[in-house]
Amino acid sequence: MTEMFSNLFGQTEAQGPPGSSSLAFGPGKPPPPMPQNQVPMAGQMPPQLGDEGPVLRKPGVMNEPFYLLRELPVGNELTGNTNLITHYNLEHSYNKSCGKKVKEKLSSFLPDLPGMIDCPGTQDGSSLRSLIDKPPVCGNSFSPLTGALLTGFRLHTGPLPEQYRLMHIQPPKKKSKHKHKHNRPQDPLPQETPSDSDPKKKKKKRDDDPDRKKKKKDKKKKKNRHSPDHPGLTGSQPNSNSLR
Amino acid sequence: MAEKFDNLEEHLEKFEENIRQLGIIVSDFQPSSQAVLNQKLNFMISGLQDIEKCRQQLHEINVPLEVFEYIDQGRNPQLYTKECLERALARNEQVKGKIDTMTKFKSLLISELSKVFPEEMSKYKAIRSEDAPS
Repeated sequence: MTEMFSNLFGQTEAQGPPGSSSLAFGPGKPPPPMPQNQVPMAGQMPPQLGDEGPVLRKPGVMNEPFYLLRELPVGNELTGNTNLITHYNLEHSYNKSCGKKVKEKLSSFLPDLPGMIDCPGTQDGSSLRSLIDKPPVCGNSFSPLTGALLTGFRLHTGPLPEQYRLMHIQPPKKKSKHKHKHNRPQDPLPQETPSDSDPKKKKKKRDDDPDRKKKKKDKKKKKNRHSPDHPGLTGSQPNSNSLR
Repeated sequence: MAEKFDNLEEHLEKFEENIRQLGIIVSDFQPSSQAVLNQKLNFMISGLQDIEKCRQQLHEINVPLEVFEYIDQGRNPQLYTKECLERALARNEQVKGKIDTMTKFKSLLISELSKVFPEEMSKYKAIRSEDAPS
């Protein structure tokens, strides 16, 4: 903040607190002896010190009564005032990464990788961090296994025990959801379609189930009273199907 | 640059596919599968050799450590890129806001100082008008 302030007002942070003798001179240089009761003025400075550095304004009578007046910052300097993403032509990357919703899980980034890759790596010791913390022994060359060495890989016949079959378990895919979406337009009740994706509304539906049962019962009663071919029940059945 | 990555990606995919097939063979092992298993094991070794060769081409590549954290947590590493860009934009906007505020503050301060120190400020403005780019 102070840097901004000083830039705007033609001063830099390199200066010490006001009143100190080093104010009138470049930082890091010992101040020359100055008579007491004399205010350091830019006009009184030796010319070589006044010219030093790009920031300090040239000394002269014109600067009075101001001293330590600095040059204004160059206007074309690249600052946070400009949109840096646009400046570095990163709009495409920005739109690509932030424009669409990125799926949270690692399996959506590496869909062809077998196994449960969405679990934290620390659970089964497969984390990349552990590779950095405890780097494996490198430097040995890989050589193919000869006949004698391959005898060590003779396996027993039969399936693997249950605990070692994790590799073939794939994370559940959301194909079934797509199916539901395709079915929705055929649904005879359009007001039900948008609520399927909302879990809260789903819950509500389930909560409403007893009410619907009551309604069904009422309709059944009406059916019995008036006409047995009343279509009321058939209209409610797709709703229950859409819940499944 | 992209060729290097494509090459590594291709080798990794081949290696991963070979491992997957190995897993299938091993999951329900039959005596007749021993020859195939031996072949797959040697494929695995040649795959590792190929990946090892790719290492030399990718010495200059720097990967942020935070990406590893994302992967270790089972999260999509594209989220890291997304969050980085969003953070950069937010910070950019913050700095722009500060600059705008300071600019407003400057003009306000000048106007107020002009009321209290009119002579000095007229001199100051005269000096600054000289500095101002035409």
